[in-house]
Amino acid sequence: MKFTLHIWRQENARAKGHFETYPIDGISPDCSFLEMLDILNEHLINDRIAHPVCFDNDCREGICGMCGLYINGRPHGNDDGITTCQLHMRKFRDGDEIWIEPWRAKPFPVIRDLIVDRSAFDKIIQAGGYISTTTGGVPDANMIPIPKHAADMAMDAASCIGCGACVAACKNASAMLFVGAKISHLALLPQGRVEAADRVRKMVCKMDELGFGNCTNTYACEAECPKLIKRQNISRLNRQWIGALFGRDRRE
Amino acid sequence: MNLPKIHSITKKILVGALGAFLGFFLLFHASANLLILRHDGGEWYNAFCHFMGTYYIVKVLEIGLFASLLLHAVMAIWLAIENKRARPVGYKKPTRSKTHRGSKVQMWTGILIFACLIMHFTDFYFVKIGWVQGKYMAKSEDVVTLKTIQPEAFNYAEQHCEYSAKGNWLGNFNADDKAVLEAASLEVEPDFYHKAREKFKILHIVIAYLFFFVVVWFHLRHGFPAIFQTFGLYNYKYGKAIEVLGQVFNWVVCLMFTVTVLGVYFGL
Repeated sequence: MKFTLHIWRQENARAKGHFETYPIDGISPDCSFLEMLDILNEHLINDRIAHPVCFDNDCREGICGMCGLYINGRPHGNDDGITTCQLHMRKFRDGDEIWIEPWRAKPFPVIRDLIVDRSAFDKIIQAGGYISTTTGGVPDANMIPIPKHAADMAMDAASCIGCGACVAACKNASAMLFVGAKISHLALLPQGRVEAADRVRKMVCKMDELGFGNCTNTYACEAECPKLIKRQNISRLNRQWIGALFGRDRRE
Repeated sequence: MNLPKIHSITKKILVGALGAFLGFFLLFHASANLLILRHDGGEWYNAFCHFMGTYYIVKVLEIGLFASLLLHAVMAIWLAIENKRARPVGYKKPTRSKTHRGSKVQMWTGILIFACLIMHFTDFYFVKIGWVQGKYMAKSEDVVTLKTIQPEAFNYAEQHCEYSAKGNWLGNFNADDKAVLEAASLEVEPDFYHKAREKFKILHIVIAYLFFFVVVWFHLRHGFPAIFQTFGLYNYKYGKAIEVLGQVFNWVVCLMFTVTVLGVYFGL
């Protein structure tokens, strides 16, 4: 397959970026998107055309949340419920033009080319995304009864890999789905419920402080989340916030 | 410019709460408007307008309504400014994410609603507060006394107006007549019934109002479910029901407005 790639190139965080166009040929339809970029980089290095294109990646099986590219107007490309590393070139047509951009958000500054600094998410987690109760040794699995639906919802929320696609997709660069998921997976379980009000206060304050936008219920985050995290988590976050405003923990 | 600090979700809740209040006012307004379709010479509708214009609780609510409208818009603009700041560098390719279009046009439909409100207020509300000249009606509790004490005013009213004995209404006045009758200590109020019936007979005004209702429909289509989401009431169990309820509310409000305008136009 043959493609024309328009890739955002930026030397460093302070430099002015621009799009660079690279034609590429001989790509297998079964090649993953990141493998295609590897081939491009090999070509750029061997033919001494330019510095290789920098992009984040790690596990390449949709678990780690490291990869994240804005491809032709969609975070993680033209498919639902996948990360960039799970996107394959068969999803494109031969001869397609592909525009590749980094996540765009004030709290996610570009480090180089397609790599952004997502430590803003870590700061939100550090602010309150934990439980500080002493849990002791490993308890018996059934010692604390947890309803099945609560466990399922907590598990769904916990599947957030913090890739930042929600922020990238949101027209306001809002991190509400990420924070909602992190709030939910703790608040839904008895161990996390104890500090729920305090947690939501700290995490939302940190989110605002870092400069993420406000949620305007567009739900682009839900549409683009590679782990299919639902907007109900944002609703739960709002509910928890209202509860926290009145100084009490809410039971879910 | 540094904006004062109110947490993002609190701002959203404020916008939602004010929007809910305005939404319920629309339902009330649309329901009351149906009285225009009664062929009673405006007896019921004007009586309702009289109540709305004089009852002190309604007057307080009126101030609250305008404050809500203004605050709703100010908060929404504030959110939009912050949202713009959150992404200083935009994407080259426009988004292709599958999202609710309503929220993307919410700001624009809001601006259009304000523009349409200027038209609506010029037609009706500004007449009430005397900023714009329009049709009025005068009311005398005791026509016989008026005839005895102020025969000139009575004769003037009789010559210029239609007289309805049923509610002691002394018909329809133009703005010039208003001063004469007010000088004769008559209670003069805008005649919204005849004003509306006159306005909604003109095709381009009907089209303008229908456009207004379409814009309101688009604004409410996103607004109603968004309020539930913002208040944290949207969940797995009732999510679909809330969306359906929102659309029903939206259609009921907009159809009631539309039926009133089209009803008058087609002479119902």
